[in-house]
Amino acid sequence: MIDLPFETYFEEMPCYVSVQDRNLKLVAANRRFRENFGEIEGRYCYQVYKHRPEKCEECPVERTFHDGKSHYSEEVVTCLAGRDISVLVNTTPIRNEAGEIETVMEMSTDVTQLKRLQTQLKESQERYRLLFDEVPCFISIQDRELNVIDANRLHRETFGEKYGGKCYQVYKHRTEACKPCIVQKTFADGEVHVHEEVVATQDDRTLNVLVHTSPLRDADGDIDSVIEISTDITPIRQLQTQLTNIGLLISSISHGVKGLLNGLDGGVYLVNSGMKNNDQSRVEQGWEIVLRNVSRIRSMVLDILYYAKDRELDLETIEASELAEIIHEVMQSRADDLGVQLSIEVDSDSGKFKADRKAIRATLVNLIENSLDACRVDSKKEDHEVRVSVSGSDESIIFTIQDNGIGMDRETQDKAFSLFFSSKGNEGTGLGLFVADKIITSHGGNIQLVSTEGTGSTFTVELPRSPKENQNNVEHIETITTPGD
Amino acid sequence: MDRKPLILVVDDEQDTRTFFTTLLKDNGYDVITAEDGQEALDKVRTAEIDLITLDLSMPEMSGLKFYREMRGEGEPHTPIIVITGVSNDMKSFISTRKQVPPPDGYLSKPVDQAEMLELVANLIGTHS
Repeated sequence: MIDLPFETYFEEMPCYVSVQDRNLKLVAANRRFRENFGEIEGRYCYQVYKHRPEKCEECPVERTFHDGKSHYSEEVVTCLAGRDISVLVNTTPIRNEAGEIETVMEMSTDVTQLKRLQTQLKESQERYRLLFDEVPCFISIQDRELNVIDANRLHRETFGEKYGGKCYQVYKHRTEACKPCIVQKTFADGEVHVHEEVVATQDDRTLNVLVHTSPLRDADGDIDSVIEISTDITPIRQLQTQLTNIGLLISSISHGVKGLLNGLDGGVYLVNSGMKNNDQSRVEQGWEIVLRNVSRIRSMVLDILYYAKDRELDLETIEASELAEIIHEVMQSRADDLGVQLSIEVDSDSGKFKADRKAIRATLVNLIENSLDACRVDSKKEDHEVRVSVSGSDESIIFTIQDNGIGMDRETQDKAFSLFFSSKGNEGTGLGLFVADKIITSHGGNIQLVSTEGTGSTFTVELPRSPKENQNNVEHIETITTPGD
Repeated sequence: MDRKPLILVVDDEQDTRTFFTTLLKDNGYDVITAEDGQEALDKVRTAEIDLITLDLSMPEMSGLKFYREMRGEGEPHTPIIVITGVSNDMKSFISTRKQVPPPDGYLSKPVDQAEMLELVANLIGTHS
């Protein structure tokens, strides 16, 4: 054993060692202390360590003097070079022969490096939590029983704070696990799985999500949980639907246009051949066909414009009786041509209402044209009539269009307002009633249809006297039906 | 043939029926019409028809269904010209051609008058 004097041990201790008296005056200090904090002669602990004029509020040395026990604290001290050093401080009493505490030895270990690592670890944990929380996807961590044991902010805000709840309850308001469940699959095979799901938010919105699952393993490599990341792809699905609709629209328009051109060709042929043969009735018949097809082209173009563009409603106050009169004038000649009796009755209490005049007029004309068509193609009855009535209550105004045409079977009624559904074969684009419904819904109103095959149909349009603000921004969910033929 | 050839025009659209009827009558044919497949079948069974122009897109019994009935076992072969404005209809028609023999002619809407008259004349000439 090497015999070294006590002073050498004291001097070479790999930490800062000092001895202080009751007034915290430094009595002795080792080399390392002096190198880092300077000479101690006549100076006090707090001056040397912390560059303070007075003692610290909490002083472990003082406490040792007081109770005779060792104390521990964490401090930040400042070295000669002005650098802050984090230290772990331990104190121990040094007693004289009488057993009284004469001085206290303070030993401080430099833990700056450790502190820095601790801070970095904390910051890094916070950063990952922030990333987890701020990722614009729904993230949840699930255990084997499909309990949600953690979730990010977007997930919590969208589906509610339901830690411990089952995934299928949180996401789908279901009472049992979904089939298939890709979280269970990932637990079983440790692989990443992908699946598209439709989920319900806590405020009952429906979202299309693309779900990815990935295993989370513990230190032994066993899967202890699964991370589920869901991306909201609802806008993409909506865009897809719109693109499908555009495709259907183009096909529907080209179908309609071909039929109309064929009709026009027929009309022109009759007019030309009638003029050539001096056959006046043939000319008139042909001209009627030309006019009918031109009018169909007009209404088709208007329908397309309404479909293609989400117009803001141009609201104005409309006198119901005045609107009814204009519509009567417009439709009378068409009804006469078809030999259909058209009557319009306006109740005295119909009054005024606020609406987009052009849109409502186009809708009512469209509905009356439908009724006239239903009469035109009905060969089973001699006399046909279309009765339009206008009535009102305090809150709403009601237009009723009743015909005794061919009527509709159940399936046609169910699909009547669907996009691209037409019961008119070559003559319809499947836009008219869809657009009519869209216009009335955007006013906060509704269209009801009652029909009996072979007897006739009644359309009832109810409009609020005054549509609510922003009513026209209501999202419209479209039912898509491909043309039936 | 002593009598004028009789053509059955099958189309749900009144203007088209009027057009084809007038055009064909002006060119020396007799014409009867039907609004849908069922009415067309009834007419086929009661009249001696030399040629049929058939619209594929009809709301009641579709042209395709009528065509299948017409080309069923034991039915006499009356020439049929298929007319349509929808390319999809033609595609689905072509895809089912394996089960049924092909039609005698195709025309697409809007129909070219000269083309129609030529096709009709050829088919009636062949089959008379």
